[in-house]
Amino acid sequence: MEQGVDIRVRGLVKRYRSSTVNAVDGIDLDVRHGEFLGLLGPNGAGKTSLISIITGARRATEGSVRILERDIVAQPDGVHAAIGLVPQDIALYEMLTARENLAFFGRLHGLDAKAIRGRSDQLLRRAGLHERADERISRWSGGMQRRLNLITALLHEPPILFLDEPTVGIDVQSRAAIWGLLEEINRAGTTIVYTSHHLEEAERLCSRVVIVDHGRIVGEVERPGAQGGAARLEEIFLGLTGTEYRDR
Amino acid sequence: MLTRIGAHIRKELLMLRRDRGGLALIYLMPVCLVCIMAVVQDAPFRDFSEKQVHVLFRDHDGGAVGRGIRQGLEGAGPFAITDVTGDAAMTEGEFLERVRTGEYQVGITVPAKATMVLNSGSSAAVERLFSGLSGDGALAREAPDSAFVEVLIDPAVKQAFRELVHSHLERVLAVLGSERLLIDMTTRLQQLTDKEMEPLRVQEQFIGVRQRMAGTELSGSRVAADSTQHNVPAWTIFAMFFTVVLLAGNMVKERDSGCMVRLLTMPGGASERIAGRMAAFLLVCASQAALLFLVGIQVLPLLGLAPLNLIGVDLIMLLAVTLVVGAAATSYGVLVGSFSTTQQRAAVFGSTSVVILSAIGGIWVPLYIMPDAMRAFGRLSPLNWSMEAYNVVLLRDGRFGELAPFLLPLLIFTASCILVAILAERSIARR
Repeated sequence: MEQGVDIRVRGLVKRYRSSTVNAVDGIDLDVRHGEFLGLLGPNGAGKTSLISIITGARRATEGSVRILERDIVAQPDGVHAAIGLVPQDIALYEMLTARENLAFFGRLHGLDAKAIRGRSDQLLRRAGLHERADERISRWSGGMQRRLNLITALLHEPPILFLDEPTVGIDVQSRAAIWGLLEEINRAGTTIVYTSHHLEEAERLCSRVVIVDHGRIVGEVERPGAQGGAARLEEIFLGLTGTEYRDR
Repeated sequence: MLTRIGAHIRKELLMLRRDRGGLALIYLMPVCLVCIMAVVQDAPFRDFSEKQVHVLFRDHDGGAVGRGIRQGLEGAGPFAITDVTGDAAMTEGEFLERVRTGEYQVGITVPAKATMVLNSGSSAAVERLFSGLSGDGALAREAPDSAFVEVLIDPAVKQAFRELVHSHLERVLAVLGSERLLIDMTTRLQQLTDKEMEPLRVQEQFIGVRQRMAGTELSGSRVAADSTQHNVPAWTIFAMFFTVVLLAGNMVKERDSGCMVRLLTMPGGASERIAGRMAAFLLVCASQAALLFLVGIQVLPLLGLAPLNLIGVDLIMLLAVTLVVGAAATSYGVLVGSFSTTQQRAAVFGSTSVVILSAIGGIWVPLYIMPDAMRAFGRLSPLNWSMEAYNVVLLRDGRFGELAPFLLPLLIFTASCILVAILAERSIARR
C-alpha cells in the first residue's frame, strides 16, 4: 500500500437483495493518514452503505477494503481493533449508565479495568458528561447521548475514526462540543472519515470532501475551507448532484 | 475471547437487573403460576377417595337394600349424602333440576320393593342350587323381576367421575346381593342339617391388594406424582423457556438501537455474543429453578399442598438436568431472537410457541392422560424431554444412564438452535 494511505477502497459494489440498483457502484477511494475526510451526498446517495462496508458492518458484493494494510474480510479483528465507529443511531444500551456502557465496549476492545476507568474519566470529563456518568442514559437528553455515542468510539484510542452523521438532531452547544473534540483528536493524528448533510460543518472540519451520488463518487474538493466558504461548497454540491428531491 | 464473553454476560445481567417488568416476567409470574396451578390441579392428582361427591339420595324402598346402599356409600368416603326421603321428599322435577344445575353431582333413587326383588331373587337362586343337589328340580322357582337403582348424573361432570359413582354402586349392590345369598344359603343349610350355624360374612377378604411405587418404597421418603411433584418441575421448565420473550426481545432491541452496528465493527463475533447472552440467561434459568424448588418446599405446604420432596434425590443429577434444560431454553431464545424482526413479533411468537410446546409437552397436564395422537406429538416437544428428565430424577429414582434418552435430544436441540442462530447473526453483515 502506498506510504501514508490508511484506507484503500477498490472497486466497491454493494447491491441489496431487495433492490435492483447498486447502493454502492464501483467506488475507488484512498484516505491518507491524518486526513479529515468528509463524505457528502444527498439522502440515499450511498454514504452510510459505504461507511458500513469499509468498517465491516456490512459485506460488499464486490471489491476490496484494506485498512492499515489489513483486509477487512480476511482480518476483521485486526481491522476492528484499529477503528472506531460512531453510528448514525445512538448505539448504546439505554438501560446502562454511561460508565457501564463504556466499560462494556472497553472490555470488548480488550482494555483492562484500570485502563477503562482512567480513559472513561478523561473522556467523560472532556465531553462534559462526568457529573451524570452513573445515571442510566435513558434519562439523558439527545445531545448528551450523542456525545457519549462519540466518546465510546474513542475509548480504545483508535488511529482511524468513522462517523456517520454524528451531529443529527442535537443542540448548538452539543454540536460545538463534538466539533471541538473531533478537531482535537484529528490534530493528535487520528484519521477521520465522516458523513454529514451540514455543508458548513464539512467546510469547517474537513481537509477534503468527497461528494457521493447514486453510489458513485461524483466530485472531490480539497481544503473546502479555502474554496470560499459553505456557500461555495453548496454551489459545487448542487452542481454535481442536482436540485431534485431524493427522498420523495 | 473469555473477557469479551464475560463482558456480554455482565452487560446482560445488568440490563436484566434494571428491567422490573422483565424480572416480574421471569421470576414473579412462574411463582404465581406454580402456586395457582398446583392448587387448581391438586384435586385431579389426588385419589378420588379424597374428593367430596354430593349425592341427593331418595329411598323408595325403605328396606335393607335402601339402607344398605346408603350405608355403603357413606362408608366409602367420598360421598356426602343428602337424604330426600319421607318428610324431605321433593317432586321428580325438583329432584332432576337440582342435579341438572350442578347443585348435586349425583341423584340416586332406590326403587320401591328393591329389597323384595333382592330377597326373592336370592331365595330363588338358593332354591335352584339345593334342588339340584337333592335332585328335586320341581322345587326350583322362576327367576323374579329385576329392579334398577336409578342414578342421575350432573351433565358437567367428567367421565371418570361417572365411572367412580357407578363402580361404587355396583360394589355396594354386589355386597348386598352376596350377603343375602349367604344368609339364604346358611338358612337352607340349617334346615337341611338341623344345626345352628354362624352366617358367613362377605366382608372377610382372603386375598387383598397391596400397592407400592415402582423403584421406591411405600414407607420411604419418596412420593408418587402429586400436584406438587408435577407442577414444580413443570412450571420451572415453562419459566426457563419463557425467558425467550426477554432474551429474544433484548436481541431485537440491540439490533434496532444501532448497538449491533457498533458490535459488528468491534473485535469478537456472533459466537461470542451468543455465548455471552446464553451464559447470562443460563444463570437466570438456574436461579429460576432454585427459586421455584424453594417455593415447592416452603410455600406450597402453606397452601395445603404436599411439599416438594427432595430427600433422597441425587442433587448432581438434578443440577445436570437443570443446566441442560436451561441451555435448551436459552438456545431457543437466541434462535427466536435471531429471526425476529421486531420486539413485538419476538414476544408474540416466543410466548405463543412456548405455551403450545408446553401444552403438548405435558407441562399443563401429564402426557399419559392425553389421547394417543397427542401423546405421540407431545414426545417431540423439548419441554416434554425436559419434563421426563426431571421425572427420572425426582420421581423414578433413576440412574444417570436413564437420563440419556431425554438429555441427548435436548443437547442436540440446543446445538442446532445455536448453530442456526450463529449463521443468522453472521448473515446480518452479509445483507
